[in-house]
Amino acid sequence: MMLIPCPFCGHRNESEFAYGGPVKPDRPDPHAASDEDWVDWLTTVPNPLGPVEERWWHVKGCGTWLTIWRDTRTHCVVEGSGDAG
Amino acid sequence: MSYNASFERLPISACFDLKGAENALVEWIGAEILPGFPTEANRRRSADGLSLDHVGPRHWLLHADIDREDELNAALRPHLAPAEVSIVRISDTMTTFRVAGADVAHVLAIGCPLDLHETAFPEDAVTFTEFFGQKALVRRCAGGFDVSVEQSYGDMMEDCLTRALR
Ligand SMILES: [Zn+2]
Repeated sequence: MMLIPCPFCGHRNESEFAYGGPVKPDRPDPHAASDEDWVDWLTTVPNPLGPVEERWWHVKGCGTWLTIWRDTRTHCVVEGSGDAG
Repeated sequence: MSYNASFERLPISACFDLKGAENALVEWIGAEILPGFPTEANRRRSADGLSLDHVGPRHWLLHADIDREDELNAALRPHLAPAEVSIVRISDTMTTFRVAGADVAHVLAIGCPLDLHETAFPEDAVTFTEFFGQKALVRRCAGGFDVSVEQSYGDMMEDCLTRALR
């Protein structure tokens, strides 16, 4: 079980949230980026051994979208909540 | 074992969904109609038979008895509201179960992940959470908790509660 810190509600059970995917780097300019960089941005999902920045939606709670850092080795939230809104 | 608790499905009540900045809502509705805004997140403020729940950022639910629905609708004028605020009558979208009794905390714990101890969830607490897997609004009532779910899940919740109480 994971407790996710919501900026509005405080720590809540992960079952109240929907996973919004990892935070991706900014979209490169498709006209300026190489094919390799463009395909990498489109298809490669960040999957580090360690902290990964993720978006979560408090869909069964207050409706806030938030950003946390989750350590993939321990499943612990090591930093959050980033932004509300 | 069975629990020392019981539940009932409450009759419909009036409910309005209010969204927008607090000052924009006060400007449109008028401060004298509302019971006042709760100052904390996930808290309720009540006065004169009305209660206002702060359930999300710039999001409140206004509750009253169903016989005040027309009066409130006339005062809130949802269809004329300015773009900065959203007011929607949602009375018939929710159904509420009142769960009460000495073992009510055990029954709630079966379906709800919240810490409902009174130090974490005091008298005026109210929040959206989940109950038997569905989004639900939970708040305290005399001797227990009121749990509201989207009305199409009502029969399923009744079944879940019946089995939990066995
Ligand atoms: Zn929340």
